[in-house]
Formats: sequence, structure tokens, C-alpha cells
Amino acid sequence: MDAFKLMKELRVNYEQEAHYLPRETGLRLIESTTEDDSRISAKCRDAKVEDVWSLTSFFGYSTQTFVLAVNLLDRFLAMIRIQPKHLSCVSVSCLHMAAKVTEEECNLAPPVELIRIGQCRFTASDLCRMEKIVAEKLNFKSKAVTALTFLDLYHQIALSHCTDGKEILSLEKLEAQLKACLCRISFSKAKPSVLALSLLRQEIHAVQSEDMLEIACHIQRHLKITDAELRLWSERVARRLSDYSSPECSKPNHRKLQWIVSRRTAQNLHSYRTVPELPTIPEHCWDESESEDSCEDVMSSGEESLSSSLGSDAEGPYFPLHLRRQHLHA
Amino acid sequence: METTKLPPSSPSSPTTSFSVPSAEKVDGFPRRSMRRARQRRSHSSSQFRYQSSQVELTPLPLLKDAPVAELHDLFCKKLQQCCVLFDFLDCVADLKGKEIKRAALNELVESVATSRGVLIEPLYPEAIKMISVNIFRTLPPSENPEFDPEEDEPTLEASWPHLQLVYEFFLRFLESPDFQPSMAKRYVDQKFVLQLLELFDSEDPREREYLKTILHRVYGKLLGLRAYIRKQINNIFLRFIYETEHFNGVAELLEILGSIINGFALPLKAEHKQFLVRVLIPLHTAKSLSIFHAQLAYCVVQFMEKDATVTEYIIRGLLKYWPKTCTQKEVMFLGEIEEILDVIEPSQFIRVQEPLFRQIAACISSPHFQVAERALYFWNNEYILSLIEENCQVILPLVFATLYRVSKEHWNQTIVSLIYNVLKTFMEMNSKLFDDLTASYKVEKQKEMKRERERADLWRGLEEHQDRRMQMLTEAARNQRNLQERGERGDPPSPSSLQTAHSDQPEPKPSGASSSSGAGESAT
Repeated sequence: MDAFKLMKELRVNYEQEAHYLPRETGLRLIESTTEDDSRISAKCRDAKVEDVWSLTSFFGYSTQTFVLAVNLLDRFLAMIRIQPKHLSCVSVSCLHMAAKVTEEECNLAPPVELIRIGQCRFTASDLCRMEKIVAEKLNFKSKAVTALTFLDLYHQIALSHCTDGKEILSLEKLEAQLKACLCRISFSKAKPSVLALSLLRQEIHAVQSEDMLEIACHIQRHLKITDAELRLWSERVARRLSDYSSPECSKPNHRKLQWIVSRRTAQNLHSYRTVPELPTIPEHCWDESESEDSCEDVMSSGEESLSSSLGSDAEGPYFPLHLRRQHLHA
Repeated sequence: METTKLPPSSPSSPTTSFSVPSAEKVDGFPRRSMRRARQRRSHSSSQFRYQSSQVELTPLPLLKDAPVAELHDLFCKKLQQCCVLFDFLDCVADLKGKEIKRAALNELVESVATSRGVLIEPLYPEAIKMISVNIFRTLPPSENPEFDPEEDEPTLEASWPHLQLVYEFFLRFLESPDFQPSMAKRYVDQKFVLQLLELFDSEDPREREYLKTILHRVYGKLLGLRAYIRKQINNIFLRFIYETEHFNGVAELLEILGSIINGFALPLKAEHKQFLVRVLIPLHTAKSLSIFHAQLAYCVVQFMEKDATVTEYIIRGLLKYWPKTCTQKEVMFLGEIEEILDVIEPSQFIRVQEPLFRQIAACISSPHFQVAERALYFWNNEYILSLIEENCQVILPLVFATLYRVSKEHWNQTIVSLIYNVLKTFMEMNSKLFDDLTASYKVEKQKEMKRERERADLWRGLEEHQDRRMQMLTEAARNQRNLQERGERGDPPSPSSLQTAHSDQPEPKPSGASSSSGAGESAT
């Protein structure tokens, strides 16, 4: 698409995006909830979104599927109050719905597989019902305008203006960063166009391209995004991305996952933890010099290295005790 | 030599009447040992010194009834009585004598176990002599030449009723509070110990159990023999590994060694480290590893706990001897690696992590599900997980590609689930690294697919080219034939057709050539 068409497309999407925003009041409610069994909290939602990402990645779905799934999830959660125990079902339903829209039929994982791998407690029929509920509540239409839509457009625009754009600006990297942001509920409050632009600017800043920066400003003016809003979200994005990129490894939450092995392997797992029956025999320093009969066999000249013959006491005293005594008396 | 007496069920009796209980069948087939049992013949006694003219034993008075002055003398006499050997393969011979000896042995055991002041100096040589006479014998060759220690039932020692009491006596003798090592060492010497060690090859597990405890006590109390014992055990193991691959007592000897290793003084002597590298690690290559693997692993781990610097030797050694075709052994090796990792120090872990995780990655991609499962289960171990987490940058790239690939290809669903767990764990550890690796993996995949497409295109192009050539050749041949036929019929040869015939020689020109020949023909 040429530059003019791209800009037009941009405008169209910009006008549409408000329809696909989750209700802000709903999101705030979730953010303010403390850890509690009856309501969804931000931490709860974030953890679930990370699970959705794991499944997306495992089944080879595209980032588009993920972004759409999160969009559906947030919109639903902001609208309907659900109990935390249903969150798993809702999130996997959203993922499956998104996958049906975005992915090719042959690449779709069957719901049973999704449930099995995700170690979910509900059945495929539960999933089906939940999907219907979500679709109904959200007046689900196939296409949603998400931050990825904008990111994609921005990227194309940038490429169309710069000849070597492809080497400088990697769409994959931007997608990964978007994914990192979406794992935090606060970013669902941002307008997708603004979020995408913040990400773009962040990356441009990192690669230090003046040309790209100009294009970004151009886009901002075209969409009439205010400086204040852009600054606000750029700061938040920057903080999130610096967390994401830190080389420190965090301790994974180990207890959540179930490790199921086959019966035979399970039988063999702890067969080694045998308590020894024989009591320890402590080694004495003067072992070998106690008995005179056994001395001749043992006293061969030993070298300190590992290449000396077995059975020689390489590190014992050079003169055995009884010989030393003789020497002293001599 | 006594005549071989056939047991009641002679081998010639029809075996159809003998039905094998289902418990004795493995996979529907009767075990090998059952088949052999039906054909069992009695063979000659393991005690070749069986005297044909039997010494008649007269029962002596009981020890507990003897007055103190006569006690030691009586004790000695009983010991001497017990030096007479009996044939247990013949169940009915010398029943009286056998009972007298059994009772005497029992009394001796009781006496040594309970009374004080029994063990005086003159008794030591007599006691050791009695023990030697009874237990030291050449072990018979195995009744079952293909004895598989894992599958088959062992051949038990026939004279166990007496032998067991002799061993019991020996053990109590060693453990008695009156036992004097300085006295005993004159009689329990190197020759004695060597013969004792040879007995560990007995097929009877009860005998080996006694021997194990006895040798353990001997090693503990007779300090002068320790080096000799260690040396002889080394010899046995080395012979086992490199020459015979047969020895029934490896597990028991390893158990004793475990308690010895546990008691090593620090710093570890070079001799002990050599033993680890030259004997313990190569012991992993034995075919019958499953019999003694638990004890071997214990010894190895004990070494590590004593001196962390041996870790690298151990792990590199295991990697060197990693089983390539035996999956049962591979599972054992993986179990041992997990035990080793359980006690490894982080500084040592860093030195071995790369080759180790390459091997683990190879195990994950093994088509044998037990191997893959065992390897993946490492990620369920908290301590190992913490080690991986600290070195995530190094380890994740090594296993990532394998994990991804196997998750798509493996036939076993449990494995696929476990891989998801591992991938998810990594994702939580370091998202960015994970995303980077995912991206580069995808790029690699694209490149690979592109290469595949190009290769396919190339072959297709070559095939098409070949087809076209064949087409042209057949046409050229047809033209030749036509011309020849015309010549035979006497048609005037046309110069133009002759020329075109020549120009039809195989030269890969596009269809222009054939059209010109066609045009040429119609012209004539």
C-alpha cells in the first residue's frame, strides 16, 4: 500500500478504536481489588494473561491471536464481574475465539488439547458455553482494532518512507514488546493508537534514527494525539520495557504446574533414596602403620599425582611410624 | 564321589502334567528359571573335601551346664566337632551327625553372643580354623550358565543350615565386647581376607549378606588390613569391568565401600580419588548395572559430599560413558545425575553445565518416552531449578530448540505436557531471553523452509529439463526414421530435409527447432 492509502487506513482505524476499548471503570475496579477469593484482582488477571501467552506460544499461534484474545478478555472482565475460579475458562475461551478468527483451520488446536496442556479444570463443553457467553456480551465481530493493528500500520508507514527501514525497525521486536505490555492490566486503559505510538517511539529512541522520529511525529500530528497523553504512556511503557529486558531471571512460580509422569517412571523416581544400613567407618591417619605384617604390601613409594598406582598411600607420612621410631633410637 | 541321585520328579516325566502358575510367567511366557527347574539334576557338592569315611560325632554335654573350669575346653571340643563337614545334597545321609553339629553350632553362637569371658586367647585359632574349614570352598559353577541376575532365581547354597550358623558365629565373634583385634589379626590375615572376598561371588544372597556385614566389621576393627582389603576390592572390580563381567557380589562390596567413603578423612587422599576415577566411574559401563546401581550412585554422591572438586571428574566421566543404545541404563544414568545435582555446589555446576545440558537435550529428544520423561522431570526439582535460574542465559539456548521441536513431533502426550511445563518455567524465568530465542528459532525455521522450497524447485526444474530433452530426442529419432523410409521407397531426397535432419541433432534448442523441421518436412 502506498503512503497515502496507509494514512487513510490509519484514520479509519483511529475512528474505530473507541468501540473496542474495555470500559475504564471496570478496569479500575479490577486494579483496585486486593487479593480476594470473590473478585478478580490485577495480579490475578496478569497471571492469567501470561498463561494465555504461554499457550499462544506453545501452539504456535501468532501475536495477533494473543492481542485479540487479551482484548476480548479485558473487555469482558471490565463489563462482567466473575469469580476468580472462572477466570481460567474465560481466558481460554477468548484465546480459542481469537484463534478461530486469526489462525488457519489446520493450525487450530482442538479445545481438548488446549484444556489438557493448560491443565484446566473445566471441560470442552464448558469452554463452548463460555465462548457463546463472551461472544454475546461483546457483540463479537471478527475484527477488532487493537494496538497491533496500529503497530502494523505504523511499521508499514515507516518502511514506506525509509529505504533501509527493515533493518532498523523490527516488527517482531515491537510485537514482543507489545506483548510484554499487555501482560499488565494498566496498559489496557491506553488507547491502542497511543500505546502503539509509544512503543514505536521507544524503539526509535533505542535505534536512534532521526528519520524515523520525524515519521513518528508526523503520525502523531495526523492523528492529533496530544503530547501529554503520549508522554504519559511513553513513560509507563519505558518502565515496563526496562523491567522486561532486565537480564535478571526471576524465580518461576513452581507450585502452579502439575508434573505428571508415566507409572513406570514414577516408580523409579525415588528408588535411590536408600538409607545405608552399614554404619560409617571413619578413616584414621595412622591406619596403615598399626600393623607390621601388612606394612610391606602397603609401603610402596607413592607420588602425589593421580597417575600413581592404586593402593599406595600417596599422602601418608613418608616414614611410617614404626620405622621413624627406629630411626630415632638409632 | 557319591552317585548322583535323581530327585523325585525325574526329567523324563512328562512336563505337560506340570502346569506353570501364572505368577511365574512373564508376558505369557514361563520364566527361564522355571524351565530350568524342571530339568534340574543334582550335581556334586560344593564341598569337595567331603570325607567318604564319615567321622561319627558323639554329642557333648551342653555348654551352659559345664562348670567354669571345663568351659573353655568344652568350647574347644565343640569347635573341633564343627570342623566336620556334611553333604546336604543328599537329604537323608547322616541326619544324626548333622543335628549334632547344628546343635553345637547353635550353642557356640549363643555362648559368644551372651556370655562374657568366653573368648580367651587359645580359642582364637580354633575358632578361625572352624570358620575357615566351613566357609572356604571353591564355589560351584552356576547351574544356569546364562544366569541373569535381574531375572532368574539364584541357586541357593545347599548346606545353608550349617553355613548360616557358622556365619552367625563369626559375626558374633567379631562383635563380642571381648574381641581383641590385636589377637585376631594373627589369624585373620591377608590370606584369610582374600578367601573371604572370593566368597562374595556366591549366588546365594543370604551368604553375601552375611559376608557383607562380616567384612564391614573386619575392616572396621583390623586397621592393618584396610589397605589390603581396598586393594583387593579394586582388583575384583577391575577384573569385573574389563575381563569377566561376572561377579555376584558387586552390590554388597559397594555397600561396604559406601560406609568407608562416608568416613574418609579430609583432605581426600589421592588413592581414593584414583579409585573414583579408575574404578567407580568405569563400573557404570557394566551390563548388569541395574543390580548395583543404587549402591554405586550412593558411593558417587558420597564422594561429592566429601570433596566438591571431584564433581567435574564424575560428570565428565558419566557423560563419556553415556549409554548409546540401552535405554534402561539411560534412565538409570539420568536418575544418578539428578542425585548428583541435588548435592552439587553452584561453582562446580557452572563448570559442567554446558556439556551436561547438551546431553539432557539429547535425552529429551529420545524417542523412548521414559528417557524423555526422566530428563524433563529435572525441572520439577527445586534445587536444580534454582541452579538453572542462575545460569539461565547459558542453559536456555542449549535446550530451547530441542524443546520446541519435540513438542511438535513427539508421539507421547505426557511428554508434550511436560515440555509445556518446562517451556512455561523458562518463560517465567526470563521473558525477554525466551522471546529472543523464539524469534531466532522462527527465523531459522523460515530459512530452512526456504531452503527446502529452493531445493524442491531445483529438482523440479531439472526434471522438466530432462523431460524436454527426452521429448526432443524422440522427435529427432522419429524424423530420422521417416527419412530412411523415404529413402528406401525411392523418394527423391530433398536437400532441405537432409539439412534439417542434421540440424535436428541433440542440441537443447527450444521448440523452434522442431517447428523448423516440421516446416522443412511440409516443404518437401
